[in-house]
Amino acid sequence: MHYNWLVLAIVFIPVVGAFFLPLASRVSLRFRNIAAFVLVFSSFILSLKLIPLVLSGKTVLFTREFILGFNFTLLADNLAVFMACVSSLISSIIVLYSFGYISHYENQNEYYCMVVLFLGSMMGLVFSANLILLYLFWEITAITSWRLIGFFREKNYILKADKSFLVTVFGALVMLIGFINIYQQTGTFDMISIRWLLKDPISNIAVLLILVGILSKSATLPFHTWLPDAGVAPSPVTALLHAAVLVKIGVYVFARLFLVTFTLPDIWHTLIPIIAATSAIVAACAALIETDLKRIIAYSTISQIGFIFFGFALGNTLGIAGALLYILMHGLAKAGLFLCAGIVEQNTKIKDITKLGGLIKTMPITAVAFLFCAFSVMGIPPFGGFFSKYLVFAGALEARQIWIGSVFLFGAFLTIIYLFRVFNLVFLSEAKAPLVKEASPVMIFSVALLGLLSLFSGIFINYPSFFVQRTVMQIASVAR
Amino acid sequence: MTDKILLLPIIIPLLGGLLALLTPKKSGALKEGISLIAVLLNLVVTFSLFKSNLYYALPWVGFGLEFSLRLYHFSAFIISASAFFGFLIMFYSVVFMRGKQFLNQFYAYFLITLAFINGAVLADNLVIMLFFWEGSLAALFGLIAIGGKGAFKTATKAFIILGITDLCMMFGIALTGQLAGTLTISNINLPLNLLGSLAFILLMVGAISKAGSMPFHSWIPDAAVDSPLPFMAFMPAALEKLLGIYLLTRISLDLFKLNPHTWISIMLMTIGSITIILAVMMALIQKDYKKLLSYHAISQVGYMILGIGTALPVGIIGGLFHMVNNALYKSCLFLTGGAVEKEAGSTDLAKLGGLRKNMPITFVCFAVAALAISGVPPFNGFFSKELIYDGALERGWIFYLAAIVGSFLTAASFLKLGHAAFLGKISDENKNVKEAPLAMLLPMIVIALTCIIFGVFNILPIKNFIQPILGEARLGGHNFYGLPTNIFLVVVTLIVLAAALLNHLFGVKRYGSGLKAVDHIHYAPGLSWIYNKAEGRFFDPYEIGLNLVNVISRVGYGIDRGIDWIYDKFTVNLTLALTGGIRKLHTGNFSVYLAWSLLGMFFVILFLLRSI
Repeated sequence: MHYNWLVLAIVFIPVVGAFFLPLASRVSLRFRNIAAFVLVFSSFILSLKLIPLVLSGKTVLFTREFILGFNFTLLADNLAVFMACVSSLISSIIVLYSFGYISHYENQNEYYCMVVLFLGSMMGLVFSANLILLYLFWEITAITSWRLIGFFREKNYILKADKSFLVTVFGALVMLIGFINIYQQTGTFDMISIRWLLKDPISNIAVLLILVGILSKSATLPFHTWLPDAGVAPSPVTALLHAAVLVKIGVYVFARLFLVTFTLPDIWHTLIPIIAATSAIVAACAALIETDLKRIIAYSTISQIGFIFFGFALGNTLGIAGALLYILMHGLAKAGLFLCAGIVEQNTKIKDITKLGGLIKTMPITAVAFLFCAFSVMGIPPFGGFFSKYLVFAGALEARQIWIGSVFLFGAFLTIIYLFRVFNLVFLSEAKAPLVKEASPVMIFSVALLGLLSLFSGIFINYPSFFVQRTVMQIASVAR
Repeated sequence: MTDKILLLPIIIPLLGGLLALLTPKKSGALKEGISLIAVLLNLVVTFSLFKSNLYYALPWVGFGLEFSLRLYHFSAFIISASAFFGFLIMFYSVVFMRGKQFLNQFYAYFLITLAFINGAVLADNLVIMLFFWEGSLAALFGLIAIGGKGAFKTATKAFIILGITDLCMMFGIALTGQLAGTLTISNINLPLNLLGSLAFILLMVGAISKAGSMPFHSWIPDAAVDSPLPFMAFMPAALEKLLGIYLLTRISLDLFKLNPHTWISIMLMTIGSITIILAVMMALIQKDYKKLLSYHAISQVGYMILGIGTALPVGIIGGLFHMVNNALYKSCLFLTGGAVEKEAGSTDLAKLGGLRKNMPITFVCFAVAALAISGVPPFNGFFSKELIYDGALERGWIFYLAAIVGSFLTAASFLKLGHAAFLGKISDENKNVKEAPLAMLLPMIVIALTCIIFGVFNILPIKNFIQPILGEARLGGHNFYGLPTNIFLVVVTLIVLAAALLNHLFGVKRYGSGLKAVDHIHYAPGLSWIYNKAEGRFFDPYEIGLNLVNVISRVGYGIDRGIDWIYDKFTVNLTLALTGGIRKLHTGNFSVYLAWSLLGMFFVILFLLRSI
């Protein structure tokens, strides 16, 4: 019983608390900021408390019955707890960074409310074990991200926000049709019941419909272009959207549905890697040509998401483990990159990397943090990204997908090249714009923390990898 | 418990490096002190472990990625050699680097590199090896980038080339692990079938690019110009060769069953031969002391790869012995280059000359190392080259020809270098140049003496270090030390060396200067055009690769923009077109709406009537 309340608290502390933040600002702005951080951070702490339980092989299930199969069901298993820890950790750091970043702008109440609500609904999505509940939380994240992208009220920005909203909601509606398709086969939306009722692989049309939703949320080709456009948002938001939470929703739901709940027809084990590979390469190419700092990093996210999809779609132990570690490593590193980009952009007021240069002299900490995170994304040891990349490749070769594996290898080459292009142009080459000072201490602290976490997650890989091993074992035990 | 001692060669330099990085700027010689203590301790530990066989393992990542280290005669030999070079070059750097920028970083990266290389050599798990192997990249980037203003470009070039080849190796390791069912190096022994060959090639790409072979070489000459000089003596000249050739030997002898009948063997020998010839051709025409040496650092790898590629015991022994010898004389040569740079202020050969009197000890060390690299008896290079010739000739005259032509050009270019730097007339501004300080001379002298000892008493390294690597079974009772057995090869070598000397004398007589002694080759018809292009980086595989990537990414970007057009323009316009017609019906006119409603009602009634 105790753990049931824990799961409810993880979801509803931020969801409900978010709406009290505007009230908190009446007390003082500082109080509101700290309250926002506490709400998000408490999710993280409470998620950590679930780790011992799930490691011992137990799960938490909380159910309230409703009519028509719309049961309110929350399930905390290894996969969910892993995802919850990763997203709430990164969100906490991002909220911390926002203290410095957002303090110059108006509508801060809206900002904090939306960010916390976003994280809360993400938590709800992670733990929900009912397709309709999952869909509900999914749409709440879409609405909050729509507000956050359009945070600066210029016309052009609003249009970009609308674009991302339309694309992801279109995908979500298609996915909903897929869910209904499943309902027609089984008579329930409850994932655990579906797992026992559906012995055969689900129909190809249902997979296709659900996949449209997942790909549009995870910004994968051909539904990806809203993500670079979302770069108009305030930087912590892009970081939050891209790296930690939003794009990971898609891959998480992919794992939740297609690894744990349904069985995929065989053809998708080849088709999804092909989609993922195309997405990884096209986005990496775009990252090499683009000159806008945040757009480059956004394209890089699309490219890396391809690796995660690939790992999950392979469906073998190594691939899934690689993809899970990838979610963690990429989340940390990419959040770091975005926050560094935010510092550079806010201080120089320049987005075009060809007009920047030489910033390592005046911003050494930001530069080093950027480099550390970049190394992790490239997969250079001793940074964390090395292990996730290796495991994905190992999974590919175990499945004997040598050709698609080589395409991803090429994608990894491009990753090294475009990240160095960015780093050199922004931090090393000759200064083309006046050199500016470092950002406020709290912002520097956040990026340095993310850089160091990228390093330590590689050196102390045994801790996350132990958790991942257990998760993979659990997935293998429920998958047929 | 004693097996934990295996962690020391990794921990000592790593800790030293971190401490050196964190020492305050104003603490005097503290960082130098820390660094010297770290390399000394490392030397003591590796030497004291030399004869031991140790194994240390602890679980780490899971999925077969066990943190296992293994010390046996081969790995002990390599880490002792790296410790030897690490100590001497650090000793040298303390004086050489004095007064330069970013000293903390220099010492830190130097030591961290040493730690990672020790880790890579000791590792008994392929992924752990890669972890250390690829992990040294970040330090390498730093070491080159601190060299000067534009040095970061070279650092990036090195990083991209090595990073990409290391990713190939990652792929190869994953494949090897799948084929063998284990990642523990000492348990793997795979046949070279189709997938096996692919795995071999991927691992080989990593190994030879670390060693600096073509086509992964092009950052080395750039680094010679940009990076701090001790880096060149430390990494491309010594440690990277040791590491790369170590891995190449491991994969050829242990991980895969390489034998002379495989096409892999032919491929290795071809890469080796091409590297020898092309790199030495480039070395020949260089006008800068360090850059000339850097091309030799590439060319000499060719001999090692050729030797190992023969897959014959004599060739492999020769290749390994050459690896040791090359590390010795090449680092010695770079150190003499550093002494010249420090004292005369330049390494441009046009500004040097006649330094023999001012820097006699440097000159003698240079002469010993130059004779050794040219393969003159009784220096060490002669013996290893003879072994490689022996193996190459057995596999095909064309490979032998490449090796021997390479030797001719090597000798010619060192005659040119020595003549231009140390002989001839001294320029006025160099009149007061002094001999380098003792701390810089000592490492050179030690290494030069080792070159002589390893030549005259070659039984010492070959019998104790190198023959055990192959093992009794492969050797079949043969011994490869002592004087060369094939008199024909020796005679040819001597003729070629004499020809190189004559060629030099001819060039000097014709153009009147040591520097221009090979101009008749440089500006030979046809060759001069190729040289011109090569100097303009026309053939640089890195540049070609980047251009190719650029073209590909433009295509990819086009696809991306096309998709975006569908969202931003096509969908919007389509919607507008579709709704446009309907919008026209909504005129705002009441009578029109009434007409529509009546029409609708009419259809409803029609429908209802029909359904009755």
